Amino acid sequence: MSEHEQDPALAPASAGRGGAEDAPRAHLDVREQAPESANEGMRRPSEGRDAAARRIGVYVCHCGGNISDYVDVQAVVDAVKGEPGVIVARTTMFACSDAGQQQMEQDIAEQNLDGLVVASCSPKLHVVTFRGVAKRSGMNPYEYSQANIREQCSWTHTDDHEGATRKAIGLVRGVIARTRLTEALDPLVVETTQKALIIGGGVTGLRAAIGMADIGLGVFLVEREPELGGWVGKFGPMFPHEREGRELIAHLVEEVRKRPAIKIFAGAEVVSKAGSFGNYQVGIRVSADPPETISAEVGSIVVATGFDSYQPAEGESGTGLDGVITLPEFKDVIDNSKDNLRYNGRPVRSLAYIYCVGSRQPDGNQYCSRFCCSATAHISIKVSELDPKVRQYHLYRDIRTYGNFELLYTEARKQGAVYVKFPDDAPPVISVDKSGGLAVTVRDLLSGDEELEIPVDLVVLVTGMVPRKNEEMVGILKLPLGRDGFFNEIHPKLRPVETMVDGVLIAGACQGPKCSAESVASGLAAVTQSASVLKKGFAELDPLVATVDPDACTWCGKCLTACPYGAIAQLSLNGREVATISEAGCKGCGGCVPMCPENAIDLRGYTDGQITAMIDGLLQEAMA
Amino acid sequence: MSTRVDRNIYPELQRFGATDISACFNCGVCSAICPLSADGASFPRRMSRYAQLGLRDQLLSSPELWSCYGCSECTESCPTQADPASFMAAARRYAVASYDRTHLAYLLATSRVFAGVFVVALVGLLAAFMYSVHRPADGSTLAFFEFIPSDFVHNLGVVAMAVMGTAALIGLFEMVRRVLRRPRPGAPKATLRKGADAAVYAVGTEALAQTRFRKDCADATESRPWYSQRWFIHFATMWGFLGLLGATMLDYGLELLGVKATGTAVPIWYPVRLLGTLAGAALIYGTTVLIVRRLRKSDRSSLHSTTSDWTFLTMLWVAGVTGFVLELALYLPTAPAWGYPMFLVHVAVAMALVLLVPFGKFAHVFYRPVALFALRLRG
Repeated sequence: MSEHEQDPALAPASAGRGGAEDAPRAHLDVREQAPESANEGMRRPSEGRDAAARRIGVYVCHCGGNISDYVDVQAVVDAVKGEPGVIVARTTMFACSDAGQQQMEQDIAEQNLDGLVVASCSPKLHVVTFRGVAKRSGMNPYEYSQANIREQCSWTHTDDHEGATRKAIGLVRGVIARTRLTEALDPLVVETTQKALIIGGGVTGLRAAIGMADIGLGVFLVEREPELGGWVGKFGPMFPHEREGRELIAHLVEEVRKRPAIKIFAGAEVVSKAGSFGNYQVGIRVSADPPETISAEVGSIVVATGFDSYQPAEGESGTGLDGVITLPEFKDVIDNSKDNLRYNGRPVRSLAYIYCVGSRQPDGNQYCSRFCCSATAHISIKVSELDPKVRQYHLYRDIRTYGNFELLYTEARKQGAVYVKFPDDAPPVISVDKSGGLAVTVRDLLSGDEELEIPVDLVVLVTGMVPRKNEEMVGILKLPLGRDGFFNEIHPKLRPVETMVDGVLIAGACQGPKCSAESVASGLAAVTQSASVLKKGFAELDPLVATVDPDACTWCGKCLTACPYGAIAQLSLNGREVATISEAGCKGCGGCVPMCPENAIDLRGYTDGQITAMIDGLLQEAMA
Repeated sequence: MSTRVDRNIYPELQRFGATDISACFNCGVCSAICPLSADGASFPRRMSRYAQLGLRDQLLSSPELWSCYGCSECTESCPTQADPASFMAAARRYAVASYDRTHLAYLLATSRVFAGVFVVALVGLLAAFMYSVHRPADGSTLAFFEFIPSDFVHNLGVVAMAVMGTAALIGLFEMVRRVLRRPRPGAPKATLRKGADAAVYAVGTEALAQTRFRKDCADATESRPWYSQRWFIHFATMWGFLGLLGATMLDYGLELLGVKATGTAVPIWYPVRLLGTLAGAALIYGTTVLIVRRLRKSDRSSLHSTTSDWTFLTMLWVAGVTGFVLELALYLPTAPAWGYPMFLVHVAVAMALVLLVPFGKFAHVFYRPVALFALRLRG
């Protein structure tokens, strides 16, 4: 199924980005295993511990038969049990089962183990499980390493049992070699500021601001336009509750103003961001006279900047002809119509809606904009309520009025609207007929591909949502964009409002097309996500970050330009200029490590020493 | 070539009794469930799609309209209660009215008052016309053709047949013209052999033998005995009518050949008389059951009755019953007083029935076989 054909009800985010697999836990680390650390942020991983004196337990998993049908697990155990430091080596039917875990816990306690290796599946699946085993047994979780002999051996080499077994032995040896060099690591703890920045004063941002204030967090609410309210603030009745958008926004603004914890900056923009998760310093430029820039300390940032409406190019689906307008333009017309429907002073007795203009296009926006089918059905009902005699034709490719919005579709048809399904590759053609009126020519698949000519007074192009142009803000916040141009969450199901930048959350239609109800829901999800880290007053971060050896560093500045997160700074230390890396700001991407000409940077969990040892261990089997 | 959509067709169809077809969202369950809609065919769904968009020409050039025997399986299965079966029936009435250029069929189908007044007036006029040439009758036994000369009745019948035939031919021409104007791409080339096969199929298999009505349109849930099943009621009515038509023709033929003058007293076992008696009984049985079912709305295909249904059924029933009673009266020892008036009514109703064939529900007798012929030819 291509991304734009996903069921829109199941696609909460901008469609089709790669991202992590579904995982059993909500807080997975996307990186793989992470043994090793450096003392006091320095490298020299094996310092202070005799690698040969390690006491390591190795467990080779059958995974039922998933592994042992192709890999001789006993041969793997036999091959590695004499390795230096290996105290225990066993096969296990299911390492992840209760029995498997208990066996490990028992061995750790009885044999006083200080390193743990499990050769099983991908660490993506079970690194958290086995770190848990280590932790429960009093071992530091970062002393645990995983070898993936299922995806990398048994599943990939079903035709070569012997080769698969040899490869497994090599991988396990490599991981054991690395485990000899691991060090206990502790999570980094940072204190957090109990305030949030919300960018965007539309329905999502307003509702999120109220949520933040009510949960006890301070809020800076920044809106670029001089007025709060966004798109919804301009709308009349909306589906499915029929309440006016204008009224809804007026209510939210009133509630926002009641809360002193919320500071509103309308006509303002975020111009800078510094600091790291839990402690961001943002600059907010307010376009007053004279313009001033205010600095704010916040713990999290919620981006709720919304969407733009697709603007068809001149000539696209009749754009430019008198009487051809877009969905938002028509929404404005119908919201402001009294007694009868008129456009440009002329009465409208018939109209055609052309669906998917600018959406689900092979050469343009490939995604489905999700809200438009339902919104158009709703508008069609509004037209019928205004004047039941207006003849309405809905020319569509597929109707996706998901969930309860199906009722809108049924109601629109009941009011007499005719739905015409045209082929994907033959969109309707809009022209001006001899009498000067508009005519739409379309092929109707349901009547056996009859070509119809529909004379109409008005053509409404059902245009979808497109990403808003916000390059400056994207650059400041380093927000990741999906292929569709909307902001990218980490995982559409498990981490739906978080981005790869810790503490920067996304909500509403800036993440992908959403209706207002869904936008508000994601806004409140961002509130909860902010509260879950800010309310504690501190946050624990993964310790797998880069560190600098100040003795080796000569401050050439090359690492500074390599860091995409702005986590590296210059520091005067004992009269020398050296680089320093903010532990809270570093994401552990490793981008700076190879840039250093002095080899002064190392990455905890992926130190040069560990990687070299791993390669040696792996090659030992290959050479044999 | 593109067709202009015309939403005015919808209120028009409603005048012919079409239900709310806007409820239809073209899911196609009706076509899938229809025992007659074969692979690739898509009636009734496509017919109602034509109506939704106002594709008048497409609708009127669809012989598929006449494939349907009205089992109402589709209506039962329709998820939106769009009632495709009633729509198909309405579309056939619309087609009959559209193929008729005199506008008479339109008025008969859409106005109850007009239909009632017109039929009664036509019957009255015919009766009065015949009465104007009556001769005083001998009171002892019934001698209908002494009362009204047989020549006069025969000639009047011939004229009625000729008028009917002309109107029917014009209607058929209208239908065939439309069907031919929209050739289906990919349809096999017609040959004489295929034409003969299609003719045998349409007239023999479908019309006279009612094979598909009997086998395919049988209601699976119908537990009635055979003589009470829908197809048999229609079969009895149809063959009853054809039998009576045959008996009348034969009687006329015998007079033309000089074998037997019309009105000559014959025993009840005389072949032509026997044919008439049996056919009359079948017709009365069929029409009576049809009328009772429509009055009681006792099965799903008789839930909706229109002016066309009532006009047609009533005339058939009256013609059948009066004819049968008159035949019995012939064998009474004395002539009853109502004998001659009933004779007038019988002949006038029968003549009106013939005259109105192309203008009402009866028109299916020629539209249906021709449409089925066209469909069979198309393959």
